Amino acid sequence: MFHGKINERIRLLFFIMIILFIFIFLRVSYIELVDYQKLKDLAEDLWSRNLPITADRGLILDRNGVVLADNITTTSLVLIPNQIKDKELVSISLSKILKVTKEEMDKHVYKKTSIERVHPEGRGLPYDIANQIESLKFDGVYLVKESKRYYPYNNLLSHVLGYVGIDNQGLSGVELLYDNYLMGEDGAIKYFSDAKGKKLALSEVYKAPLSGMNILLTIDYNIQKSLERELNNIVSMFNPDMALAIVMDPNNGEILAMSSRPDYDPNYYLDYSMEKLSRNLPIWASFEPGSTFKIITTAASVEEKIVDLETDTFYDAGSVIVDGRRIGCWKAGGHGHQTFLQVMENSCNPGFVKLGLTLGKERLFSYLDLFGFGEKTGIDLNGEATGIIFPLEKVKNLELATTSFGQGVSVTPIQQITAVSAVVNGGNLYKPFLVKGIAEGQTNSIIKQFQKELVRQTISPDTSATMRYALESVVARGGGRYAYIEDYRVGGKTGTAQKVQDGRYLINNYIMSFLAVVPANKPEAVLFLAIDNPKNTALLSSYTTAPIARRILLDIIEALNIEKQPNAIERVMQWDSEKYAVVPNVINKSVKEANKELFNFEVVYTGSGNRVIEQSPKAGTKLIEGSIVRLLLAD
Amino acid sequence: MKKRYDLLLFIAVTLLIAFGLLMIYSSSYIWADYKFNDPFKYVKMQSLFILTGFILMNIIRKIDYRIYYKKAGIIFGICLLFLILVLIPGIGSIRNGSRSWFGIGSFGIQPSEAAKLGIIIFTSRYLIIKQKKIKDIKKGLLPILLVTLLVFGLIMLQPDFGTGMILVISTIILLFIAGVKMKFFFILGALGALGIVIIILIAPYRIDRIISFIDPWSDPLGTGFQIIQSLYAIGPGGLLGMGLFNSRQKHFYLPEPQTDFIFSIISEELGIVGVLLIILLFGLILYSGIKIALNQKDLFAKYLAFGITFQIIIQAIMNLMVVIGLIPVTGVTLPFLSYGGSSLLISMISVGILLSISKYQE
Repeated sequence: MFHGKINERIRLLFFIMIILFIFIFLRVSYIELVDYQKLKDLAEDLWSRNLPITADRGLILDRNGVVLADNITTTSLVLIPNQIKDKELVSISLSKILKVTKEEMDKHVYKKTSIERVHPEGRGLPYDIANQIESLKFDGVYLVKESKRYYPYNNLLSHVLGYVGIDNQGLSGVELLYDNYLMGEDGAIKYFSDAKGKKLALSEVYKAPLSGMNILLTIDYNIQKSLERELNNIVSMFNPDMALAIVMDPNNGEILAMSSRPDYDPNYYLDYSMEKLSRNLPIWASFEPGSTFKIITTAASVEEKIVDLETDTFYDAGSVIVDGRRIGCWKAGGHGHQTFLQVMENSCNPGFVKLGLTLGKERLFSYLDLFGFGEKTGIDLNGEATGIIFPLEKVKNLELATTSFGQGVSVTPIQQITAVSAVVNGGNLYKPFLVKGIAEGQTNSIIKQFQKELVRQTISPDTSATMRYALESVVARGGGRYAYIEDYRVGGKTGTAQKVQDGRYLINNYIMSFLAVVPANKPEAVLFLAIDNPKNTALLSSYTTAPIARRILLDIIEALNIEKQPNAIERVMQWDSEKYAVVPNVINKSVKEANKELFNFEVVYTGSGNRVIEQSPKAGTKLIEGSIVRLLLAD
Repeated sequence: MKKRYDLLLFIAVTLLIAFGLLMIYSSSYIWADYKFNDPFKYVKMQSLFILTGFILMNIIRKIDYRIYYKKAGIIFGICLLFLILVLIPGIGSIRNGSRSWFGIGSFGIQPSEAAKLGIIIFTSRYLIIKQKKIKDIKKGLLPILLVTLLVFGLIMLQPDFGTGMILVISTIILLFIAGVKMKFFFILGALGALGIVIIILIAPYRIDRIISFIDPWSDPLGTGFQIIQSLYAIGPGGLLGMGLFNSRQKHFYLPEPQTDFIFSIISEELGIVGVLLIILLFGLILYSGIKIALNQKDLFAKYLAFGITFQIIIQAIMNLMVVIGLIPVTGVTLPFLSYGGSSLLISMISVGILLSISKYQE
């Protein structure tokens, strides 16, 4: 009886303890099966140390696969302080090899951290330095491969491409905008360590870095190269404040080339001022367009049927009075009696004032809106400007008159080329873009493609056809004649705009521009070229920009394989005021011979001697007869 | 009626000890190499303890248990004496923050381990003597409770909370077995709760232990450190573990993994399979011990057998619950498995007594 009660309580406790054991077992099973992954991940973080391996950044390619932004592999120094046995020795040796003070090196070697990247002196090490460090075979001193951005063509397309920082992060341009796609995923050599940071003899895990995705641009390398070459020429010939050029495919808004001066070499971006780096002039600069704007006024007038270019006529007396203000034509004495097509060819300001006033401010300004002036084009780049157009309520007749020939408005180059593309392509305003597609890094298979994007319809296809003819006519018979290319039907329009500073026009300080279309009957490319304040040149754009544009157009024809076009407008030689002559090559000739060959120029000598060793301008340049040619003499 | 001793119990204990020695090697060689330049340091020591333990166990197995009834007072008296001596600086030495050791060379003896067995012998005899008065609080219960509290107090002066708790729980459970009314235990429970509050108020570091028990990640480098490191060992073990000798947590992450947290390393290396093996072996010891207790006609033998079994098993349960984060860190070893001479020797002596009792079954 008494024992029975005791045994009963013993059994009760026996069961309680059995239940506790079962409970413990279930709890352990729960931890090991359910919390397994979570705890394993946490524990792996605790055990593992990563030696980072930077991923290759995605490439940036032109439309034909030319690599514009590449990677090179460099070596970087990484320390794991806990693994370094003789810190003193390591610090002395490394400071000698890297040529830094021992105090500098001590900061890295003695740092209380699991992994120390020796920055910046240990980044991007050349082979011989890396080799010296390698040969020391110190524990805890690692050399890891690091991928570094490399721009094989240096300055080419620099403002569009942008540049990357020391950690391969995109800082500007396409590099910044598409950084998420380009950057890829860093890999690592993962090794396991004990709690004191020493390496364990457990297997290392290699996590391969994942290359970034490639960005395919609409840019054509050959056309871009042509722009860069011509812009370099412009800089050396005219020493302008700025110069820029854009080439666009008018049928979809693809940018084929884009460049500007000043530019920079993205491999060494740190050597340039922030201003030079950040100002991508084709989209940032905003200035009075001048005569190229007349294309818009004319297109609006033709679309509104207020003028028939070939039959309606206009008499230019040399100036026109608007609201008491006299507006002069660039040609003293005026162009006299002319059709409106000739008004366009001659770029006759009073003729455009007539068109503008006839249209009225509502209609003209509605076309400015339609063509996208005063708003960003939305190109896939940062730093685009908006430009300025008069607010409609403040527009009086004078403002209307000046706007119609391109003064008193401020537009960006990208706005102009986009608008003119719409004028010539049948009236479709496309959003300009630079990135055609994104491709997977390893296989280069396209994962995302960007299509043309119609912003809106502007003018009718008929008006567009008329405008194409008018532009061809300007090149064949008018102010754009130096851009004429036999059989290719180039269309174009020059522009010379006075620069405004503090509300006043600057004297002898112009932005000269040229807008060209090739071929004019079915456009495949539109070129915009602008030179800000060229020195040592005639003051008209026709003579300065058109010959340069012609050379670019020839390259475009070759790059795009444009076919010869039939039924071109016949070229008309107009030696209207001044005569032009081509400067011959007189280098290495005697002073006497040179003088003879330069009979239609004024020759100025510098230096002394009998032989010409340098001439300016270079041979082949067309100059107004009687212009100065400088020769450098030596014996 | 004289029988053979309980072979099942002997086998279970032997297996546990053998398995423990293997795991002590696996979990300690890193630390041993680091501290003593000898990866086998702990294994050698433990082997010596095991050898001594088996000799003692076999001697005690042959001794008639009734001698403990007669000498209970002396045994308990010696335990008390040592518990007092160990507190005196110069005699007792401090290890891991507790003055609970007699240092003899590199060996250390913990009198509190002996006191755990001593109080079971003493209480078992007390319950026989006061059999009639056991339901009388003043004359039956209060004296033994006061004695227990005295011992607990002495151990807490070292301090060694875990051992103290096991000692108190074992005594109270023996009172429960002996038929003390339930009402008494409720009162005792309330007093115990109050006591714990007071103890925490005296030593605020225990609050940290409790907080770290509720959320070890609240202070991962301080109070939550051990339990997090333990979970980091158990978690990645999975079903089959990382394989013998492949623990990562023993690489200095888990401090002294061969002692209190040896179970973490076992589950890390051998997974659920290893855990199941250990729990089954303890289950066998529990089963054998309870069977021995139930089969005793002699009340002293019954109390003693149950007390010993309960004490071993409750210590194992407490250790496991600490290691898997179910109760706060108290600092008790896992019997037969954890490294440590005193704990192992007392456990083996206890089993020796159990075996000797097992020969007298109904």
